[in-house]
Amino acid sequence: MVPIIQVRGIQKQFDARTVLHDVSFTVNQGDIVGLLGPNGSGKTTIIRLLNGVIEPTAGQMRINHWDPHTEGHKIRKISGILTDGAGLYHEMTGVDNLRFFGKLYGVNDENRIQQLLTDFQLADHQQKKVGTYSTGMKRRLGIIKAILHNPTILFLDEPTNGLDPEGIHMVLENIYTLNKQYGTTIFLCSHILHQIESVCTQYLFLDRGTIIESGTKSELEKKYIKEISVKIETNAVVKELNPLYKVAKQDGSFVTFTLQTKDELPGLLEDILRKQYWIHHVEIQNRDLESLYFQIRGERNEDK
Amino acid sequence: MKINKNIVWTIAMKDIKGITSNKQVLIGLIILPLIFAVIFPTVFILLLNFVPLTSTEVETMTNTILSALPNGDSKDTINQLPSFNHQMIYVVVNYLLGSMFLLIPVINSMMIALNSFVGEKERGTLESLLFAPITVKELFIGKVLSAFVPTMVLTVGSFVIFGVITTAITYPIFNGFIFPNTNWLLLVFWLSPILTLFTILIEVLVSARSKSFQEAQQIGGLVILPIVGLFVGQATGMLIISPIILLLVGMFLLMINVLLIFLISKYNNRNTLFESQV
Repeated sequence: MVPIIQVRGIQKQFDARTVLHDVSFTVNQGDIVGLLGPNGSGKTTIIRLLNGVIEPTAGQMRINHWDPHTEGHKIRKISGILTDGAGLYHEMTGVDNLRFFGKLYGVNDENRIQQLLTDFQLADHQQKKVGTYSTGMKRRLGIIKAILHNPTILFLDEPTNGLDPEGIHMVLENIYTLNKQYGTTIFLCSHILHQIESVCTQYLFLDRGTIIESGTKSELEKKYIKEISVKIETNAVVKELNPLYKVAKQDGSFVTFTLQTKDELPGLLEDILRKQYWIHHVEIQNRDLESLYFQIRGERNEDK
Repeated sequence: MKINKNIVWTIAMKDIKGITSNKQVLIGLIILPLIFAVIFPTVFILLLNFVPLTSTEVETMTNTILSALPNGDSKDTINQLPSFNHQMIYVVVNYLLGSMFLLIPVINSMMIALNSFVGEKERGTLESLLFAPITVKELFIGKVLSAFVPTMVLTVGSFVIFGVITTAITYPIFNGFIFPNTNWLLLVFWLSPILTLFTILIEVLVSARSKSFQEAQQIGGLVILPIVGLFVGQATGMLIISPIILLLVGMFLLMINVLLIFLISKYNNRNTLFESQV
């Protein structure tokens, strides 16, 4: 595991307002990292700092061993960015926007521009002015702008904002493909947790200007999920089952059990099947990212 | 770091295209040359020539300019003209309209340059540029060029149109050319580029520090005052344009330009540019 982003004790103040205080984390090459936090928690500020667009009040950062303050130019060459507003010229056509930004990033490959426009289903709209695009189309064009030069690190600020389900699927699939095909490190900010759950390999939880937790999903699950809530669709009579398996809720054929660990699940299922009942569906309910997010934030707030 | 000319031109051309493809902006930029290079000379000269003037103001002004002129070729040429009407036309064409003509490069470059950074901020695109692998220097030069090139095209174009119209009207009156003289050539090819650059540098500096176009306009508009001063200088005879004066004013502005470039490069880094937009 080679670290590509190293951040130690970063602070950022705008006048008297402290946006970040003591932010530290590491991102390894080839990871897809989700930076999660509520609106206004400082996610965008971190992206700006990492690219040397703004300077930190204190702390150290290294991106690919470069300091964003003194070697920001090198970082910006290997970075691709999708900002929240996408930053496109509305009076220019879609393809002209890409040609313009392509030149700034040293890409004059018209074939690549056309290929990406096709991949993101914008080829038919390339001659229209961006001002006439829907929010989803602007976002997709913004993503093309960000990946045009095959960046080593891709920073995506709320990439699925304003997209319809089809658009979300398209964007997430492309992010995943980029990572798998080219080993692109992806740093993704979002507050829509269920959407990014399928692509991220690691998570950073930002709250009130500091990273309150980080790790892979299984690491976080181990740490925070004390009880497992399992919803099973079955015709089992719960009274006949081992009393070890506590029933939290029953709604017709849907029974929700509370287990101490995941390891108890095979025993419960075996118990049901052994007694000749059927099982149509099994789902662990409190292991999704959203549950983890609230658990982590809840515990931290309790600590304060 | 070495300046990447391709990037500079890409930024400049993007902005120039933005100006030429926007009819409203284009009309705004053309109105001024139309007034100062076409309407003003035509109306002034024709009025002076064909309408018997009773206005003592123009007369007094002409006399003031004539008496303020140093002894030399210009004064002799004017004194040898056949009538006072001829003298008035000569003075209007070569002194008054000259200082007014400078409003073309100043106001046009002001309007383009004022919008340079504020326009990017208002459209939310400045951040995209700051995230791109371009230096702030390249961005500034690109922005300066995007105002300089169209302004100079308009200025030289206006000069040619002004010349054709003025000559077409004055040639039969004077039986010869009274235009262009050294003053005019210096105004257009020496002072205009320097003044345009001066205006752009001031406006770019103001634009980079302002949060809205309106705010930039209020501060940046002050740049017009020296031109008004030059015009008043002609009318009152306090500062009559001559090749020497034009050369000196140009040299002075050139030095100020160097100072402004130094100031801009010192005070405008990414962080400052960014923080002025939030």
